[in-house]
Amino acid sequence: MQVTRRDFMKILGATGAGVAATSCGAKLDKTPIEEIIPYVVPEEDVVPGIATYYSSVCRECPAGCGLVVRTREGRAVKLEGNPNHPINKGSLCVRGQAGLQGLYNPDRIKGPHRKNEVGEWVSITWEEAQGLLVEKLKEVLAQGERQRVSFLTGNISGNLDSLIDSWLKIFRSENRIVYEPFSYESMKKAGEIVFGVEAVPTFHIENSDFLLSFGADFMETWLSPVQYAKGFAEMHRPKKEGGQGRQMGKFVQVEPRRSMTGANADLWVSVKPGTEPFFALGVLNEALLHLWKKEGGDARKAMLRSWLSYQGITTPKVAELTGVEEMTIKTIGREFASAKRPLAIGSGVAGSGTNATATWVAAYLLTAITGSMGKTVDWGRVQNVDRLTPFTQVVSWVERLKKGEVDVLLVHQANPAYTLPKSAGFSEALKKVPFVVSFSSFWDETTTQAHLVLPDHHPLESFGDYSPQTGIHGLYQPTMRPIFKTQPMGDTLLSVAAAFPSNPFKEGRYLDYLKSSWSALYPKGGQNGSLESFWQESLRKGGYWQETHSKEVSISNRLFTFKVKEPVLEGDGEYRLVVYPSVKFYEGRGANKPWLQEIPDPVTKVVWNSYVEIHPEVAEKLEVRHGSVVELRLGESSLKGPVLLNPWIQKETIAIPLGQGHEEYGRYAQGRGFNPLSILPLQVETVSGGFAWTSSRVRMAPTGERVLLVKTSGSIDDRNRDIAGLVSFEDLKAGSVHREEEEIQDKLLYDESWRHEKGIRWAMAIDSSSCTGCSACVAACYAENNVPIVGEQECAKGREMAWIRIETYEEPSTKGTHPVNVPMMCQQCGNAPCESVCPVYATYHNYEGLNIQVYNRCVGTRYCSNNCPYKVRRFNWFAYKFPDTFNLQLNPDVTVRDKGVMEKCTFCIQRIREVKDHAKDEGRLPRDGEIVPACAQTCPTNAIVFGDLNDPNSKVSRLSRSERGYHAIESINTKTAVTYLKKVHNGLRTA
Amino acid sequence: MAEESLTYQRIDQDVLKTLERPGKKYFILLGGVLAVFLVGLAAFINQVRMGLGMAGYTHPVMWAVYITDFVFWVGIAHCGTLISAILFLFRARFRRAVYRTSEAMTVFAVMTAGLFPLIHLGRIWNFYWLFPYPNQRQLWVNFKSPLIWDVFAVSTYFTVSATFFIVGLIPDIAVARDHAKNRFRKTLYTILSLGWRGTDQEWRHYYKAYLFFAALATPLVLSVHSVVSWDFAVSIVPGWHTTIFAPYFVAGAIFSGVGMVITLLIPLRKAFHLEKYITVEYHLDRLAKLVLLTSGIVTYAYGCEFFLSWYSGNPIEKEAFFNRAFGDFWWATWIMITCNCFIPPLLFIKKVRHNIKALFIISIFVNIGMWFERFVIIVISLSHEYIPYAWGSYKISPTEIAITAGSFAWFFLWFLLFVKLLPSVSMTEMKELVKPPKRMGQS
Repeated sequence: MQVTRRDFMKILGATGAGVAATSCGAKLDKTPIEEIIPYVVPEEDVVPGIATYYSSVCRECPAGCGLVVRTREGRAVKLEGNPNHPINKGSLCVRGQAGLQGLYNPDRIKGPHRKNEVGEWVSITWEEAQGLLVEKLKEVLAQGERQRVSFLTGNISGNLDSLIDSWLKIFRSENRIVYEPFSYESMKKAGEIVFGVEAVPTFHIENSDFLLSFGADFMETWLSPVQYAKGFAEMHRPKKEGGQGRQMGKFVQVEPRRSMTGANADLWVSVKPGTEPFFALGVLNEALLHLWKKEGGDARKAMLRSWLSYQGITTPKVAELTGVEEMTIKTIGREFASAKRPLAIGSGVAGSGTNATATWVAAYLLTAITGSMGKTVDWGRVQNVDRLTPFTQVVSWVERLKKGEVDVLLVHQANPAYTLPKSAGFSEALKKVPFVVSFSSFWDETTTQAHLVLPDHHPLESFGDYSPQTGIHGLYQPTMRPIFKTQPMGDTLLSVAAAFPSNPFKEGRYLDYLKSSWSALYPKGGQNGSLESFWQESLRKGGYWQETHSKEVSISNRLFTFKVKEPVLEGDGEYRLVVYPSVKFYEGRGANKPWLQEIPDPVTKVVWNSYVEIHPEVAEKLEVRHGSVVELRLGESSLKGPVLLNPWIQKETIAIPLGQGHEEYGRYAQGRGFNPLSILPLQVETVSGGFAWTSSRVRMAPTGERVLLVKTSGSIDDRNRDIAGLVSFEDLKAGSVHREEEEIQDKLLYDESWRHEKGIRWAMAIDSSSCTGCSACVAACYAENNVPIVGEQECAKGREMAWIRIETYEEPSTKGTHPVNVPMMCQQCGNAPCESVCPVYATYHNYEGLNIQVYNRCVGTRYCSNNCPYKVRRFNWFAYKFPDTFNLQLNPDVTVRDKGVMEKCTFCIQRIREVKDHAKDEGRLPRDGEIVPACAQTCPTNAIVFGDLNDPNSKVSRLSRSERGYHAIESINTKTAVTYLKKVHNGLRTA
Repeated sequence: MAEESLTYQRIDQDVLKTLERPGKKYFILLGGVLAVFLVGLAAFINQVRMGLGMAGYTHPVMWAVYITDFVFWVGIAHCGTLISAILFLFRARFRRAVYRTSEAMTVFAVMTAGLFPLIHLGRIWNFYWLFPYPNQRQLWVNFKSPLIWDVFAVSTYFTVSATFFIVGLIPDIAVARDHAKNRFRKTLYTILSLGWRGTDQEWRHYYKAYLFFAALATPLVLSVHSVVSWDFAVSIVPGWHTTIFAPYFVAGAIFSGVGMVITLLIPLRKAFHLEKYITVEYHLDRLAKLVLLTSGIVTYAYGCEFFLSWYSGNPIEKEAFFNRAFGDFWWATWIMITCNCFIPPLLFIKKVRHNIKALFIISIFVNIGMWFERFVIIVISLSHEYIPYAWGSYKISPTEIAITAGSFAWFFLWFLLFVKLLPSVSMTEMKELVKPPKRMGQS
């Protein structure tokens, strides 16, 4: 082709213009990007890239916290506490955060199943499944006997509960068992004995100034842990009140093994197991004595004193019995009596011996005699545990099953094959029931022994209500479409009922039943507007809360006939066995959630396993060390498990956490650790009849084996490196706590002030004084940031991927040491050592003071991690998998990292970005407190505060200027963005 | 001296004899080395496929055996250039017989060392991002990072030492070319000798060039290992962050390099009957003295590190060094101290120095000791940093063992090929020691 000069110029011109136009386009880049969305017809409320929030109720434990579920493109991706909910006020615990892993668990039962003749599970349709159940029930009905159909559920209050009762009536049965492993029966009974009220009240820990707990693990699993942890944080905060100078509550915990709750106490008193009632009565005696001196005697005090002497309580005797110094008992008694609003609470599961009611009796009396009952205990708002079937009745029901008195057993939200002690013989009893139906979502120990499985929706997929306390009606709704072919149990029951002529239900769907029952609340609310708008409003808010009125109680005369008994012990071994609930697994229901398995236990820092906690001196005597397997023997039964040394346990005591040792229950739970319930004897609390968890003496012998028992902690001593800080309240009050800032003169070649002084600087203030170590933040971080789990073997190599960890250090205090929790995440250093060593700028500093990690640019030299003094960088050693269906939970706002790249805490940069974009749309700057990282969001005690450090009025900058503030390892001049606040220790005088 | 009885012809004959067709033993050895190399290669491929988790890395110990191997091989690479360049400038006559071998060792050691920074990368397929090359994403490397300095230091060192090696070979290869019978060899030598004819002018240019190269290579000997030491020294890791590192590492490198030269020379001179050329009393004695000197410097440096960590009063440093000597890895530290500080002084005794077996064994100890020195510095320091809660440990994995063994195989593979393809003793320089031949019949 001939190209003339003219042609050439034309072509050149055209090409040039084209190139210019393209590059302009690229630079301006204002054209909207086309979004691809998989819905043919978009669902209502769904805007791609924008999260939708639904209110719900957390059903991971009976506490019934309110939820706000963040959904993206029709999938629930994050659970957060409902800020308007009266119980949890926006926070969740570690189990609540992990609720999503129940929803998306790959081991969920994916549809109805029938066991065939050879015992194999066959997948069937819902019509077949319901038909099978109807057929069986018709057979039973035809026989004409009563009580042949039995329904076992967990603690399901609300409308489902009443539905089940009416449903059972169709089959002429009231054989209903509401079973929870932790049933607080001694507490209920003590209420009846002391005040004539058989109920479990609500405690206002936040109102008290002296909290004395005889082993209640109220920050872990006890009743309502988020609510009470919040209360504790409020009570234990050094605050200024009405010109009286600083005030701060005191907390004393009395127990044989230091629990997570005990680790937060100002004084942790180690007592011999089972002697808590005597200790409590000893303190009561001292407190009475003190009050007598202070206020003078009266008839009630005199009666109580004579009652105490009838119990044989004298301080020296109590001291001898409990192994606690007399002085300590006296001090606690005196301080309790002289506090303004003291509160005493009794034992939790770990302290439930055969005489646990006595502990509660003493605790109630302690609060009552000081006159703070009305201020710190609310008898008008009671826990819903009154619905629970007493343990003795559960046991006799199991006996009835054994005798073949039940033809059809339906099980929902209960797993007695695991949670009842083996000695109760539930598994054998189950074999005697001809037809067992399970509504479980998982192949747990009970479900695998069933004949028909009709998997219920996960609560996040269904409508329902739950009422944990008087006047608190939580309402939940489907937050997404069901993942599997499951069906709400309510619907199943209603359609089964429809096959019978005596069907009492008008509604065909559970939703209609729920709605019509919910309307019963409506007049009580006395609101304006239609019923439908009340329903809508309740759905939006996540429930309906009524005001309750506190109820006065007074000491009843029945008390004076009550006699404290010596504990009854089974077995003849030399070690007392203390079984305690796990903050991660509750009684075991959390064990199939890998986040909970991989998050270290807040106290022992063990992952993926269970263990036998013994005192180091005992270990020395037995010549065992960490991981050595011992055999525990009680009568005929025995179990084997690895040893964990715990200096904070009584020498003659062995402690074992509940929750592991599942024989079934999915890939993450199965064959891991051991279940202490397999050797526990079937002992009941003598007064209340509740299960006595701590009532056995076992023999212990080393087996010579040693197994892997992974602990994620290195040293618990911070070696004066300014990582953990502890001050006494006395010093704080006297004003002798000062900010110790090391003046380091920077002599830099360039002006680097932009790194931390100019513009926005995102920062955190973390109060060690509030941090209880509960690890909810860790779970929240796993959920928010798509952090993978790596398994036990990898954890043994320190390869867990958590971006935040709770470091617990034992800090020296006036008496021995005091544990201090330091949540450790990327400190977003102003002078970041990681940044200068990265050869490819994969990590650099941005103009908002953040230390950015660019996954795409990272080549994986890992130098940044080596140079990180805080060791918070995590490396993707492998391409970690999110097995089906866990991948559906992944947060679309956060990259899933591939093998070979480094990652770390970003201060939830995706949340910062979201709020900034939103603020920009409104033409303003982000407001203080508007951006909340996942860890700070869920913290039950608000220990983590996030904001702009360069804004002098922001909460974070105010806290960072606190006299308690310090930067971790300040001496190396990293200029961290995280300011820790030293823990305040409010020790007892002379104790 | 032995050279007295030698003639030019004899030297040519003896040296060229080493290039003759190898025997069965050679092939068995070559096969064995190749097998080990392949095992290492397989382990490496698997590691790339699965992820770096195949290595024994733990959370605090993010560098371990691979970086230990890297520093070890870079260290080995030091001696060659020291002997060929620095000692050339200093006119140390004993170098003439041993420099070729040590130079070859240098080149192969750098080739081995250079692999490790790549092997240890999380995403090796992006290794080229470490080079500053213009790209459409406008991404640049961080010149503040010592790892970038490393890239330049090692690649420069390799280029210069390889060139130096090849240039030094020219006259010798010309001799080999002239005697080559085999077609392959003839072609190879013809190419490598660059048409060398041995004219007066060529010799004059050759010596000039050699001198310049020696002068150019000399600072590199010091710089490379200084830069490698800064990989550690510029960090803030207790146990790494110290100004003594550059001289300490250079001395250590020479120490380990000379050790390796002795380890290689002793079997070589026996296998190829070069006892006349590489003598115990002269050459090996001098090398042994060099070991003695550098062992002294290294010992001093160890002492210095421990002293300064105490003298600094910095509790974190103190703790790190206490842990180094008495922590979980105390054995590694004590292997290092025993091999590098306690065993080499035996060479003070002339009898030991002149005992070929003893010398060989000591040189092996030096190699082991110096490998452990790097292991101690890297692994122990990392396992015990600022945050006590994050203190950890480390256990070597089979993948790391295979790759390390493979790296030795890779090195010996090249070395075995070298001894049969290229003259391992410099004929040119040996001839300089011999009286020039005179025409017969003249008085």
